[in-house]
Amino acid sequence: MDPAMIEMLGLSDTDLVKPEPEPTQWSAPFWKAARQHRLLLRRCSSCGTHQHPPYPSCVECSEESFEWVDAVGTATLYAYTVNQFAVPFAFWDDMPYVTAIVELAEGVRMISNIVECDDGVLHTGMDLEVVFDDVSDRFTLPKWRPARQEAR
Amino acid sequence: MSKGEFAVIGTGQVPHGNYPERSEFEIAYRVAKQAIDDAGIDKDEIGAVIGAAHIMGDSYNTEMFFGRLPELIGARNCKITASTISGGASSFSLRKTVEGILASGETDTVLVVHAQRFSQFSVNQMATFFAKAGSDPEWDVPYGMTYNALAAMCTQAYLENTGTTIEQVAAVCVTLRKWAMLQPNAMFNTKELTVEKVLNSTMVASPLTSLMCNVLADGGSAYVMTTAEKARRVCPTPVYVLADASEYSHRSITTPRVKDFTEIGDLATIASRAYERAGLGPEDMDIFEIYASYPSVTLMLMDALRIAKPGESGQLVADGKCDPGGPFPISTNGEAMGMGHTGTGVGFGVFVESVRQLQGKAGRAQVDGARFLIENCGGGAFMDCHFTVLGTEVPGA
Repeated sequence: MDPAMIEMLGLSDTDLVKPEPEPTQWSAPFWKAARQHRLLLRRCSSCGTHQHPPYPSCVECSEESFEWVDAVGTATLYAYTVNQFAVPFAFWDDMPYVTAIVELAEGVRMISNIVECDDGVLHTGMDLEVVFDDVSDRFTLPKWRPARQEAR
Repeated sequence: MSKGEFAVIGTGQVPHGNYPERSEFEIAYRVAKQAIDDAGIDKDEIGAVIGAAHIMGDSYNTEMFFGRLPELIGARNCKITASTISGGASSFSLRKTVEGILASGETDTVLVVHAQRFSQFSVNQMATFFAKAGSDPEWDVPYGMTYNALAAMCTQAYLENTGTTIEQVAAVCVTLRKWAMLQPNAMFNTKELTVEKVLNSTMVASPLTSLMCNVLADGGSAYVMTTAEKARRVCPTPVYVLADASEYSHRSITTPRVKDFTEIGDLATIASRAYERAGLGPEDMDIFEIYASYPSVTLMLMDALRIAKPGESGQLVADGKCDPGGPFPISTNGEAMGMGHTGTGVGFGVFVESVRQLQGKAGRAQVDGARFLIENCGGGAFMDCHFTVLGTEVPGA
């Protein structure tokens, strides 16, 4: 960000730090695995439904026992936007960047970024594969890029 | 609630926009006084004062939580005071609170107040707050999500699923501006828009340009609600609450109850339920007072309200049919795009405008002879939807 703009807006250093996830007791294994470049999903031991985001009990059958399973790491693009103005200041230098709703092969949806992709080839239903972005010393964000058979 | 059990008898409102010198207490006082005067009652008739909580917490909330409002307006016979909030759906949860109080019989007159002053916050405070209003702090915000991005993704999916064009979405902004031009309290009431102007404004989050995104505003409104029995006694033009219907869908846009974004949630079913409970249909509505905040969401709600066939609402607006003087008036105060976004106040303002239209007090925006209308609100990341049918009479009574 331009220093003159930072001064004009009266931004402090902390205003320019990207927000990181604050894991709950139910979601901590997801972030721990992401750090090791694994995409885990929580699956209800009783009815087998994949749950995201994780909550204390299964939103389908209310059971409280779960197992963490590896996701296959593929998804399709459900909706997307290219952010080009008026984003939080910590993300200012990233513009333009894509935020999207992706639907994983397991059926759950997540908000994420589409990376390694020309904006012009983005289209609903395009096949995606997971990549891992080590955004800080503490966190790794799963992101998505076009699957190998898709044009990048 | 039985049909037409409660009625609104008066409203108040201050100009919306950038008014940093005007405190929430001043707004609350002014709109309360106007509503009491407009209702033609004495302040000592008020038995309950209910306030909409400020969406970004501050000292106004604290004061309201601990009973400032009744004292501020001199409601000496007040028995109950409380604050209610459900984000953009607050106008509904406030009204249901009021209906519960009226049904209890403890009082027959309730004053409801909204006051907002966003201009006290820095740009960064607001940007940070609103990133979290529409997005999950753990799962969405770290990816640079914004409220505009959320609406942009919904718009992109809606266009792709229905064949609606971005020009038609821009036409919604043009129509809303035409209505706002007729409103003395609107933030944007001086310059006409064109589709070209909207499309050529700065791209924010594709396909949304800056003139498709609302801006935050200071403002406030109030109304007085009472039992139908008292309303008939004291008011020549009571506005009856005929029916409503509601649904909650999700917190994050990734977990909606209905996964198809042709609409967000099962809006058409909720709207049908509201119509049915009122014993009326879309053909009986003189106005569709839609609160959408974003122009593509206006179209989704129009689809659900059966103004046009699903997916054809964009063409209807582009043809000027929803403009002032047209056959299908929508959002006659220009809602968030015209009034500015006042947090919990946009839906509140749409409700107050609904009452004014049915009381024949909508000034230059008045839709002649309006008898019935349907209005809506919803909050969060399009987390819920509430439709309410209002009328100047109770059908079948």
